[in-house]
Amino acid sequence: MSLEIHDISKAFGGFRALDGVRLTIETGSLFGIIGPNGAGKSTLFSVVSGFARADEGQIRLDGQSLDSLSPPARARAGMVRTFQVPREFRHLTVRENLMAAAPKQTGESLLGLFFRPGRVREEEGAIAERVNETIRFLKLSAVADQPSGKLSGGQKKLLELGRALMVEPRLILLDEPFAGVNPVLIGEIMERITELNTRGIGFVIIEHDLEALTRLVPQLAVMDRGKVLAQGAPQAVLDDALVREAYLGGVS
Amino acid sequence: MFYAQLLVNGLVQGLVIGLAALSITLVFGIARFPNAATGDFMTFGAYSALSAHKVTGSIAMGGLAAIIATGVISLLAYLAVFRRLAERSVVALLVASIGIAFFIRAVLGVAFGHSQQVFQVPLSRPYVFGSVRITPLDLQLALVALAALALVFAILYLTPIGRQMRAVADNRDLARVSGIRPDRVMIALWLLAGSVAGIAGMMLGIKTIVTPEFGWEMLLPAFTAGILGGIGSPVGAVVAGLILGVVQEVSTPFVGFTYKIALAFIIMLAVLLVRPRGLFGRLEGAR
Amino acid sequence: MEAYFIAIGIIALIYVILSLGLTLQYGLTGLINFGHVGFFAIGAYTSALLALKGVPLVLSFAAAAALAGLAAWPLGLVSLRLRDDYFAIVTLGFSEVVRIVITSEGWLTNGVQGLPGIPRLYEGLGGSAAQLAVLVTVLAVTLVGTWIIRRIAGSPFGRLIEAIRDNEEAVQALGKDPARFKIQVLVVGAALAGIAGAFYAHYITYIVPDQFIPLVTFYVWMAIIMGGVGRVSGAIVGTAILMLFLEGSRFLRDIVPGVSEVDMASVRIGAVGLLLVLFIMYRPQGLMGDYTKR
Repeated sequence: MSLEIHDISKAFGGFRALDGVRLTIETGSLFGIIGPNGAGKSTLFSVVSGFARADEGQIRLDGQSLDSLSPPARARAGMVRTFQVPREFRHLTVRENLMAAAPKQTGESLLGLFFRPGRVREEEGAIAERVNETIRFLKLSAVADQPSGKLSGGQKKLLELGRALMVEPRLILLDEPFAGVNPVLIGEIMERITELNTRGIGFVIIEHDLEALTRLVPQLAVMDRGKVLAQGAPQAVLDDALVREAYLGGVS
Repeated sequence: MFYAQLLVNGLVQGLVIGLAALSITLVFGIARFPNAATGDFMTFGAYSALSAHKVTGSIAMGGLAAIIATGVISLLAYLAVFRRLAERSVVALLVASIGIAFFIRAVLGVAFGHSQQVFQVPLSRPYVFGSVRITPLDLQLALVALAALALVFAILYLTPIGRQMRAVADNRDLARVSGIRPDRVMIALWLLAGSVAGIAGMMLGIKTIVTPEFGWEMLLPAFTAGILGGIGSPVGAVVAGLILGVVQEVSTPFVGFTYKIALAFIIMLAVLLVRPRGLFGRLEGAR
Repeated sequence: MEAYFIAIGIIALIYVILSLGLTLQYGLTGLINFGHVGFFAIGAYTSALLALKGVPLVLSFAAAAALAGLAAWPLGLVSLRLRDDYFAIVTLGFSEVVRIVITSEGWLTNGVQGLPGIPRLYEGLGGSAAQLAVLVTVLAVTLVGTWIIRRIAGSPFGRLIEAIRDNEEAVQALGKDPARFKIQVLVVGAALAGIAGAFYAHYITYIVPDQFIPLVTFYVWMAIIMGGVGRVSGAIVGTAILMLFLEGSRFLRDIVPGVSEVDMASVRIGAVGLLLVLFIMYRPQGLMGDYTKR
């Protein structure tokens, strides 16, 4: 069971953002992707989640081809993404944000809303239960009824994670979950991710914060200039000569 | 040969649409919103030219008045309103541009009344080429339009401020970090966009009848040409304007005079569906 | 005097129905519909034409709502995937095209001469009783409309359209297709505008294309912006101010000597323009306050 990214290329004008990216990621695993700015990490997420079209290549999730699916259809297929800059529904409360994310709601069709009010009420009750659990799990109780636009950066990242969970996916693509988050909350988010992973949810995590990522994931890939340079256990990858040259050259 | 005549008429009409579309595409590309006041800027230009023409008897002076007065009005609209809304959502800018359009129209209505006005230009014998007749007036208008276009393109492509404007249209963030002062670019933009709309308005006024509403009715064809040409592409706007002008004229025998604007609407929808970045557009799409 | 207030009440309620539709579309969902008057016109002409052919008014009203809603559907299909600003242009263009079609297809609509002698509601009652009955009917429809919009706003559907307004891509990322919701919103708002149009036609009894200019759309925009975008109560308060403004300008013309109707029309349109600009600049949340604290 895996997400297969097969020879994906994507150019913007003359700039090759992705250049034959090939990755196979176990669906239930914790997998990291690192790389300098402009390496193509976020573009890869956009292509995988369907927000951008690849020029070439195929993507399969657990054997199912995703290439012709729209972004919502890919999410429904079991793979949900988050965004680098959190995209909370800022006028809605934290609770409403999470409720809006629950799948298959009868009350989301006008016919259902006006002709099956009993069923809508029942479902709302069930969704509210799940939302409460999620809020407790993410420790967002204190802000549950605040407009999400007023949350801190870290809380917004948690909210995005929570919304993704509400969709009940097998795989979550996290785009820089630790960017702009204070160190205490980073630890918190890492704990939540690890715990969710033990429950069988897979994660692919793009991260800038190398140190945090190497603590979290057993497997990672390094990208640079639209290509995957190396893939494997963190230490092995970081020792790779190519990686040292391309990515860490300036640092160490 | 009947169609050759329509083609000629269409080209003159197309230059008017092209100029209006140029004004729209410059604003849309650089200030990032569709300026619904463009039509009423045109009306303002037409009345400015009309007044100057009445006083001086010279079409050239009329044109100068249209360029200066409409450029100034456009700049005022920017300084008083659009600049203060720059960080707000596109709907704020859109609604504000509608408000400005209405306001200009009202001022013109009160100042000049609602009766139809025409430019008193002397009639002259048309040049005849085979069965195609071209009036000296059309020829003059075409020359004026071409001169205006040449000037705008010279500014856009040969002057430093023009290069900066195009840089901002290409990539606003990149332009900002490379030290372009947005304020100067915006002032130049609104002066230019207003002047171009003013000239377009004067041309339309000479070709037809001036009323306080007449510019507004050009808005849809102008938007269509802007979108067809590719938003942010000055060349595209002019080319698309010419295409649209000719298509409208040539189709008139089939669809009738009143459906010209409806035709523009259908073309706009078709472009947005099939090729939202237009003929010469860049990557940023309409979706 | 009483007749005057009943007349104002009817027109005001017609505008409330229009602003309910726009509240659903723009206030809750974020759809920049600049062509509201197009659906209003479709409703007015549909009901008027059917009634003139002898169709019972109950049916002609239903047809007005249905046809206006139906017109919104293909428009939504082709334009709802566009960016906001393009959608605004397309809807504005749509309403202009509706007016052009009405003007041009004289065999059906009698062109610029318009349709006179449209039957009134409750004609049998006669005089002021009929007027009162009309007022009560429009009020009832407005209340039902208000209930529907409130019901939608407080439902899972309402939650999702507000999510779409706040961030459309995030909604897609959660597995929901925004276009499916937006099209329903567009159709419901258009159907409401269609009903408003039918009431208008049968109340005024004489319609011409010039009554359906974009200015009407922006009267409604002005109402919801003044009242407070996204609030049903805002739509109602805003409409009340709009009526005060429209009637006030008429009153002013009557007492100030030497002001012609066309001049007053200019002053009115200028004031609408100025108010739109001022509210957008200085009080975008409207008079009723920020809708996030609803």
